[in-house]
Formats: sequence, C-alpha cells, structure tokens
Amino acid sequence: MSAHDATGTTLVNHWQRGVPVYREPVVTRTLIFFTGLAAIGLTLALVRFFSPLGRFSGMNDAYAWGIWKTFNVLTLTALGSGPLALGMAAWVFNRQKLHVVMRTALVSGFLFYSTGMVALGFDVGRAWNFWNILLPWRWNAHSAMLEISFCMPVYCFFFLAFENLPMVLERFYYTGSDATKAFLLRWAPAVRRIYPFMLTGAYLFPLMHQSSLGGLMLLAGDKIHPLWQTPFLPLLYLLAAGFCGLGFVTVLLLIACLRYTRPLNAEILAELGRLLSDVCVLFLTVRFGDLVWRRQLKAAFALDKTSLLFLCETALILIPAVALRNKTVRETPRTLLRMAALACLGGLFFRFIPTTIAFFPARNATYFPSVPELIMTLGYISLGIVAFSLAVKYFAVLPGEIKDWNYMFKLVRQRRAETVRAE
Amino acid sequence: MPGSLKSSPKTLETIDERLKQCGVSRRAFIKFCSSLMVAAPFGLALTDKLTPEAVAADLGKVIRPPVIWLHFQDCTGCTETLLRPSQPDLGDLILNVISLEYHETLMAGSGRQAEQTLTEAVQKYSGRYVCVVEGSIPTKDNGIYMKLAGRPAMQVLEDVGGKAAAIIAIGSCASWGGIPSADPAPTGAVGVADLLPNKTIVNLPGCPPNPYTLLGVVLQFADSGTLPELDHERRPKFAYDRDIHEHCPRRAHFDAGRFVKQFGDEGHREGWCLYEMGCKGPDTHAGCSTRHFNEIPDVWPIGIGAPCIGCTEKSIAFRVPMFQVVQIHTTAEPPATYAPIIAPQGKVSPMATGLVGLAAGALAGAGYVASRKFSSVPDDESIPGSAGARKAPSDPGSGKTSEQ
Amino acid sequence: MTAQISRRQALLGLVGLGGTVTAAATAVAEEHPAHPVATPDAVGMLYDNTICTGCKACMPACNEANGLPPDTLLSGGLWDMPSDLNSKTKNIIKLFEEPDASGFCFVKRQCMHCLDPACVTGCPFGALKKGDWGAVTWNSSLCIGCRYCEVGCPFDVPKFEWNKWNPKVVKCEFCYDRLKKNDQPACTAVCPTGAVIFGKRIDLLAKAKERISSSPGKYFENRVYGEHEAGGTQVLYLSKVAFDKIGLPKLGSTSIGHYATKVTSVIYKWLSGPVLAACFLGAVIKRNWNRHEAERPEREKETGLRDQL
Repeated sequence: MSAHDATGTTLVNHWQRGVPVYREPVVTRTLIFFTGLAAIGLTLALVRFFSPLGRFSGMNDAYAWGIWKTFNVLTLTALGSGPLALGMAAWVFNRQKLHVVMRTALVSGFLFYSTGMVALGFDVGRAWNFWNILLPWRWNAHSAMLEISFCMPVYCFFFLAFENLPMVLERFYYTGSDATKAFLLRWAPAVRRIYPFMLTGAYLFPLMHQSSLGGLMLLAGDKIHPLWQTPFLPLLYLLAAGFCGLGFVTVLLLIACLRYTRPLNAEILAELGRLLSDVCVLFLTVRFGDLVWRRQLKAAFALDKTSLLFLCETALILIPAVALRNKTVRETPRTLLRMAALACLGGLFFRFIPTTIAFFPARNATYFPSVPELIMTLGYISLGIVAFSLAVKYFAVLPGEIKDWNYMFKLVRQRRAETVRAE
Repeated sequence: MPGSLKSSPKTLETIDERLKQCGVSRRAFIKFCSSLMVAAPFGLALTDKLTPEAVAADLGKVIRPPVIWLHFQDCTGCTETLLRPSQPDLGDLILNVISLEYHETLMAGSGRQAEQTLTEAVQKYSGRYVCVVEGSIPTKDNGIYMKLAGRPAMQVLEDVGGKAAAIIAIGSCASWGGIPSADPAPTGAVGVADLLPNKTIVNLPGCPPNPYTLLGVVLQFADSGTLPELDHERRPKFAYDRDIHEHCPRRAHFDAGRFVKQFGDEGHREGWCLYEMGCKGPDTHAGCSTRHFNEIPDVWPIGIGAPCIGCTEKSIAFRVPMFQVVQIHTTAEPPATYAPIIAPQGKVSPMATGLVGLAAGALAGAGYVASRKFSSVPDDESIPGSAGARKAPSDPGSGKTSEQ
Repeated sequence: MTAQISRRQALLGLVGLGGTVTAAATAVAEEHPAHPVATPDAVGMLYDNTICTGCKACMPACNEANGLPPDTLLSGGLWDMPSDLNSKTKNIIKLFEEPDASGFCFVKRQCMHCLDPACVTGCPFGALKKGDWGAVTWNSSLCIGCRYCEVGCPFDVPKFEWNKWNPKVVKCEFCYDRLKKNDQPACTAVCPTGAVIFGKRIDLLAKAKERISSSPGKYFENRVYGEHEAGGTQVLYLSKVAFDKIGLPKLGSTSIGHYATKVTSVIYKWLSGPVLAACFLGAVIKRNWNRHEAERPEREKETGLRDQL
C-alpha cells in the first residue's frame, strides 16, 4: 500500500493502474512496417502449409527441428513466461505491488505463446492427424512432446486468455452502452469467483510445460553436448523461463515507458530487478551444482568452441545476477535495462543452444535456417509486435497514473460532446 | 536328313511314321533330337530329358500338327529368320516334325493351286491346326491395302485364324502392328490380337524374333497340346520375361560407367555399353541378349555395336527415336561405389546468414541506443528520454508525443 | 465459510479432472527400466562384417519388398546410389576404408529395433510403436510429422520425406508384412553369404558369442554391439574394426527412454505431482486472493475507480 495525497497522485510511485496509450495515433509507420512483415511471414506460412517442408526450410534429417520449434516455441516462450514468473511472485509470494504491471506481462506472454503456437502449427508435417489429441487413449503418456502439445495450447488459449479477459471486458465496460455495462456488471462477480482457480491452472500448466520443453531435449541423449545434457534439464529450463520472463517484462516496461512517454516507477522496477537477480542466482546454483555433480566442470573451462559458448552464456546470466544485487544498479534505469537485457539474452542462449548449436547428430551435418524459414520466424515475431502495439492503445495495459486515466476520460467526454454539438 | 521333300499324305501321322515314310534313318533322327536338346529354350519339357534317345522316343509319338502360315503386311523377315539356323535344320522341322500345309514363300505351288491348298487345309484340319501369322493386318478403308486372292486380309484372318486351334503371331507386325503401324500408319495396321481378342494367341514380337522361340512354342504345342505360360501381352514368359538390360553381356560396362559416347570412338571399339547411344535394352523384353542370332555368338544388335531399338515393344519400336536415352526402371545393382560412413547433409545459405547477422546487429544496436536514453541516475522516475530531472505529467497537454 | 466450501469444491473438481486424465494416461503408460529385457519372441538380425562382401543385394531386395523407388539422384538417373539412409532407402551398405588404405570393411545400416526405443518413447500419439516380435513400425494415421523421433534416435535412423506434401517417416520396419507370413525379412533372405542372418534375438546372441569364443581376437573387443547399447537392440553387430569407425555410436547401457522419463515418471505417476502442486498453489493463491479482495472495496472507494485484475 503506497502513500498518496488527497488528489490521488502518489508521492513516490507513478504506476497505479493500467492506462491505455491515448496520446498516440494507432497507425504509425513502424506499425505498418511490422504489419507488412507479419503479412509476408504468414502468407509464406500458409503457402508452406500446402507444400513440402523441405522447400521452405533448411531442415534436414540430421537437424530435424529448425528454428520454428527451437526458437519460436522453445526459446521465445521463455520470454513469454512473464505471466508465470510475475504471477507467481504477485499471487503466490504475495508481492501485491506487482499487480499493476501484471497486465503488461500477461499481454506479452499471451502474444509470445500464441505466435509460438502458430509457428508450431505451421511446422508439423502431418498436421491433419493432430485430431488424435482428442482421443486420450492414443496419447503416449511418456512423451514430452505430447505433454507440450496439449498443455501449451490449453494454457495459452484457456488460462492465459482468461487472465487477459478482464482487460478486454474493462474496455467494453468503459466504452460500451448502458446495456453492455449492465450485462458486464452482472457477470463481473462470476468472473471474480472463478479467477483464483484460473490462476491456479495458469501457474500449474506453465510449470508443467516449461519443464517439459526441457524434457524434450532429454530424449536426444548423447547427441547433446554434456555441458548441456543433464537430468536437471527440465528444472533448468523452468528456471530459465522464470528469469527470462522477469527480465523481459522489465525490459518491456522500460522500453514502453520510453516509447510512450510514461514515467518510471523505481520501486517496482527495483523489485523486478531483485527478483531477477534471485532467480538468476538460483539458476546458476543449480547449473553449476549439476556440472560439479556430473564432473563436467573441466569441460566447461576447456576453452574449445563449446566451452566458449558455455562461458558466454554463463557470463550473460552471471553478470546480471551479481550486478543486480547492488541497490544502485537496480534503481538506475539504464543499468537495470542493460542487465535485464543481458539476462534475457543469456536465458535465450541457454534454451536455444542444446537444441541446435550443441546438438551433434552426425559429423558432416550442418543446418542453417533458409531465407523463407527466417522470414516466417520474423513474421511471427512481427505479428506479436503489431498485436502488442494495438493492445496497448486499445486496452489499459501499460502502467500509468490515475491522473492520466482521469485525464483520458476527460478527453473522451470532450470529444463526445464535440461530436454531439457537430450533429 | 534325306528324303525330306516327299510330299506329305493327307492324314495326320506321327513323326515316327513320317520319318519312316521319308526314309530317314533312326540315327539321323537321334542326331536331330540331340541338336534340339541343345537349341531348345530352357523351361520346356523337352529339356528335362536326359538323353537324345528319350527325346526321340517322346517326339516320335507326337502327331505332326498341321500348320497354316499366313503372310499379311510383312517383309518375310520372320520366315527368313527361321531359315538361318542349321542346327537343327529347320527345314527338317517344318517338313517332318510339323505338317506345313500352307506357306506362300516355301510352298511350290502358286496362284489357284495355292488358294485351293489353303481352302482344303482349313476345311480338313478345322479346329486342329495351328495358324502362324506373319505381318500386320490393315484395317483402314475396310482393309483393302492387303488382299489375298482378292479377299482383304481381315477377312482371311477371321476365316483361317477363326478356325485355328491356336494362333502364333510371329514378329512385331503380327503381334502389335510393327513397322506398318508406325506414324502415320496409313493402312491402320494392327496385330492379330487386336482383331481376334478371344482366340488363343501367342505373340512372338521381334523384328525378327529369335527362331528358337518359335521352335519352343511349336514343340510344346505338338507334344502336349498346351502353350507355354504367357504374360499379360500374350508373350511366352520363357523368352520375354526379362529385359535385355538384365542379361546383357555389356552390363559390366554399364555398372562401371563405361559408355560409348560416339560411334567409332575408343569405347565403341572396346565394346562398351551403348546406353548413352540410346540403347532401349532396359525397357525391352526379349531374349536376344542370351540367344543370339545366326548361330554365331555375339551376332545380335548390341553385340555388333548397334544400340537396341526395342523392336519387340509396341511403345518403343519405331516410335521412340533410336538415339533417345531411356530411363532405367529396375532397382539396379549400384556400381562399384559405396556410401561413405558419414555422408554430408545440409547446407548454409549465405543470404540467410546475412539476414540473421543483420537482424541481430540491428537489435543489439537499437537496444544499446535505447539504453542510452535512460537516466544513469539512481532512483530517477522521470520519463525516459526526456531532458532534465523529475517531470511529473500533471500537465498532460504539454507532454510531447514521441516521434514515430 | 463460503471460501472454505469453494476450496473444497475446487479440490474435488481438480481431483476429478486429474482422475479422468490419469485413467487415460495410465492406459498407455509403460515402464522404462534402465536395462530392458527382450521379450521371448523378439526377433533379430546378426550382421557380421567379416563375412559381408559388399554385394549390396540386400538393398534392391529391401526396395522391392517395401515398394520404394531407387534413389538415383547422385547417379544421374542411372542406378540406385544413395549416400545414406533416406526417404527412399531403408537399408544401406556403407564402406569404411582405413585412412592409410591398409584395409576396409562394410557395414549394413538400418533401424536397430531397440529394446526400449527412444523414438517410441517420444512419439506423441504412438505412431511409432514396438509391436509383435519387437519390430518397431510406423503408423501413418497417428503420425503428426513432428520429427521428434529423428531428434531422439541415437542411430539417426528415421528419415522424413522433406520433399513430399504428405510426408512419411521412412525406416526399416523389419519387413513386418513378411514376418506376419512367417517369412524372414527381404535383406536376410537374399544375402548370399549369410553376412546378415535372421533369427530370435536370444539365438543370434548365442551364435554371435559362439563365433567370438571360437575365434578370439577376430572381432573388435570380443563383443557384440547391440547386446547392451542403449539398453540393447535387436539388430546385433560383429565387426573386425572399431564400432565407431563404421558409424555405430558409442552408447551407454541405459535405455534412453529410461533416462528421459526417470524423473517425470515419478512426478507424473497417477498425476500426483500436478495434483499436489495444484492443491498447494490453489490454497496459497486463494488465501492471497482473499486478502486482495478484502482490501478491494477500500481501494475502490479511495480512487473512485474499479479495481483492475
């Protein structure tokens, strides 16, 4: 609970509720650019769906998984684990002040997941057999692939979507007719009553599938370099999802405030920085503990190609972990941004490397994504960017002051009065 | 064998009786039988016998089947091919082992005498004779392009072939139309099976076919009244079930990649594979590669350095250009090269690498530039990128919209 | 009171849901022991590269038995010349030459039909399954083309038809149709020298060991490859040169399925892990939610605005 004066403006913190971005036009040049990129990517994906996989990607039998599965799903959904990490911090560990940034995390998480699901949908070679998911007796209960096949879509399109629902309903409430308002008011209590159960699911499911994403790579066995192949892979992937999610939300908040001219809230950002450091430290403990237990520490410092890759990834996570323990670093926007970005990058490295770079199926085999493959990936990401830009303008996502919110309504009422006068 | 030119009596007799009548010695007949054992294609009952005496004993009891040989749009090459072998002397075959009732090239008579012979033979042996057809049958304009004694070939075939116990269509022309059926096929030439689909027909395509194939078929029919097993195109399997490529003496050159590139070159002189010269061997079913012609080894097209033209196959002969290369359909044994233990896979596109580099660089650059817009002062809650100290947005109207 | 009943209801609801899903899941659940044991009817192939002459008769025989076209890409359309197992080649003979050209030998590669296959463990709908006689077969109506089998296989066996719109996963299936007719696979039937022979795994293992003991030093490390590798495979190898030289990877004796599922099979047994986590999470979240709701009216009155979830 933060102190505030009679006018409703807090003295210390600027972030009090989500406020839509109302001072910007909806359509900008950047939006058009990313929409174009998304359109190209999705058109290519549709064409790919009706053609052989080999024509649109550089995948081969040695590297059967290209960047769609390994990057858009395995790696980017770590960045989309903001709802999980932040949510657990807010609702399980009772950091109530983080509620105000939950919506940013929820929207970005939802978009990472849904674009990831789109990428996954266009990556499978025999998609028409996916209806088998409806027949549980055909499920192979030991397959991590099956687990993520139903856990991720259910999470994304049921639990996470529900968590994003209040934000949408809120817009209908404030911009709708009286009938709409009455309808929403009648159903609001019901939504509130089932919300905690939805929250339970929304944290249970990602715990399962983020660890299963790590479990996927367990099956590759010795094909993955021993610096990454460990029975702890599921736990490490989960922890990486945790700090990537936190890191990305931090970065997103900072960049959004820069882009949409919102003031920062040092207290909440510092809190995020602290949490980020904690999870990074936990991750590194498990990581190095595992390496010591499996006697792979020597390989880590052997200074060959894989060792350098490992050291690079570790540095990217270690630097923020250590730096963010310092209060000044946490409270300085510039350093916080840089450290959070490094942590995200380190997490992405960690999740991506065992799938492709430290993956050795056979000597003499190489893989690099082809141009259509890359364009499709960029298209999916662009789709997320476009959706996010639109979401922050239409819905109350980014945190702001109550003063801003009230002013927005004043503007709306003014504009409505003008239109009435014009008629 | 002496005495072969005695005229045959008008009743069917066994070969033994015939030979006795012609004064052929037993010894000469046994010699004939031993040459039969060598020449006859494998797979016939004949070759199961262990001694010429056994063959003679069996063969002697065979009733000489009457044979009526019709010529239509032909070049007489198939008859000529029969006359090449000397061991056994096919003159003996046709005059003593079978009863050749009508053969325009070989018979002594002509004109009305010949017509009469034909009519009488058809009447007398109706339902029991073998009709051998050489040459294609014209069908255009009511088949006026080939007439025998004023009657169109179609009619003659219907009449004579219709009353036969079995028809042997010898040569590609009788089997499926042959050269006369090549574009533009001005006479509408077709094979026997196209006009009498319901008769028992054995097709022996080839231009000309191997004489021993006919020998095998006739002998089996004479011996047991049955015809050898036929494939879907009514060709005897013992001669036509494999393609030239499978049994070609030059196959080793094919497998080793030694091809003739030009007629007369070094490879041609060395006897290398003619695949690249358009040899149709891989697509042609015939026995030429094992049973050569004229009783001299290697006397067959490929053997003398000319690529096979696929003369037995309707879809190839006289349709596909002679020097056009065919596709190999069979899962042929690979040549003397092996897969390596680790085969290379995958390739890196330089444009893709460039794209990734560009995207990554752009992102890193943008990130760094953005980070510099933030304050380096702790506890600063100002709007990032704006100049000066804490700036509370209590005056919304003065807030600058950031540039696009 | 209301909150307590809701929580109980929630718990019951979750348990009910968990129960249904468990019933379905356990229907398919199999054990993955670290060292699987072959079934008594498990068939096998024994390949001995001291006998193999590299005639490659097994390759066209396999193509014919499986209705596969020849791979003529590298030969300009002339002959079947694959460079590796691929979508047209389920079985291949490869040549190994010593770098100093002092010797050479052949190796026959195809699916190893592991006792606990990684591909079967990973396949989401069980399109790849280990069926009768231990043969690992692929079912086109269950496969979604996710290629997890390719990622999992330690021998890099399953191949994908990258150039077809309706892609299949292509790998040796032990000539399952021929096995059903009491016939042996095409490759073992056609091998002229008996380099690859067919039989029950247990018999072949005994035969291999007999060969080893009767000629000590002839075979690499005096052992059979596939006896224990990745938990054991039904295709066994005897080689005169090192196994990794002929492309057979060095593998431990634990099955990969075991390694991949040893933790999850405990956590997810009867869905106990998720159910427990759900209960714990639910309890904590509900408590914090109640706290949040308790403060809500006051906050809403202060700001004059509805609380944002």
